[in-house]
Amino acid sequence: MATENKPSGWRHPWLHLAISIACVTIYELLLKRGAAETANLSPSWSWTGLTGLASIYVWIAIVFVILSLITWLYVLRYLPLSIAFPISQAVHVLVPLGSWLILGENIITLRWIGIALVSLGLAVVAKPVARLEEEL
Amino acid sequence: MTPVSLVIVLVALISAVAGQIFLKHAMGSSHGETGFRSRKVIVPFLIGIALMTTQFFLVLGLLQRYDLSFIYPFQGLGVIIITFAAAITLREKLTLQLVAGSVLITVGVVLVSMT
Repeated sequence: MATENKPSGWRHPWLHLAISIACVTIYELLLKRGAAETANLSPSWSWTGLTGLASIYVWIAIVFVILSLITWLYVLRYLPLSIAFPISQAVHVLVPLGSWLILGENIITLRWIGIALVSLGLAVVAKPVARLEEEL
Repeated sequence: MTPVSLVIVLVALISAVAGQIFLKHAMGSSHGETGFRSRKVIVPFLIGIALMTTQFFLVLGLLQRYDLSFIYPFQGLGVIIITFAAAITLREKLTLQLVAGSVLITVGVVLVSMT
């Protein structure tokens, strides 16, 4: 593992973690739009989610799902899951913000507090990691 | 939220956690001489992908009935579960700060999902 431990530049695992998080945010918003479009297609099949495939938004979302998965697998190759996964939860700040800004969904005070707590948790997790990176 | 939806949420959550553990296990085994062609990589990789695919369609089904900003955060419960599952099954090192951060993120995500 040691020889492949420190890829730099565009191969840097932290860059791929950021790309992965961006892709997840984009595909979640696209999936919601696609799901909303296909909500009433076939009530007997809708519980499986498969009716969503009738929407172009869902197919574009699937491209971003694949992109996020590839970058995520790359991240997993180099970073511990117990660090990378909590940081990937930045999507829980970005997705509600995107739902609010783009889909026009409502965010009440308690939800804002939750978003703030997630952000704080991200900072707490990322801090020792940043220090660790400096030591490397 | 109906009881059936709650069960689907839970199954999706378990699939997501197990899927991540299998994928990490696969990718962690890919540094060896045989690279990605080893059974140690391919088997857990395929199991991980199958679990993630299950989770994907279950969540898509839930999204047809509920708002994204309501459904998605349930998956955030996976944070604290994955942090401990990684420590137990993959023997990753846990620090107090990492656990504290994961708890904050989990509480934040649950708060977002309760509202």
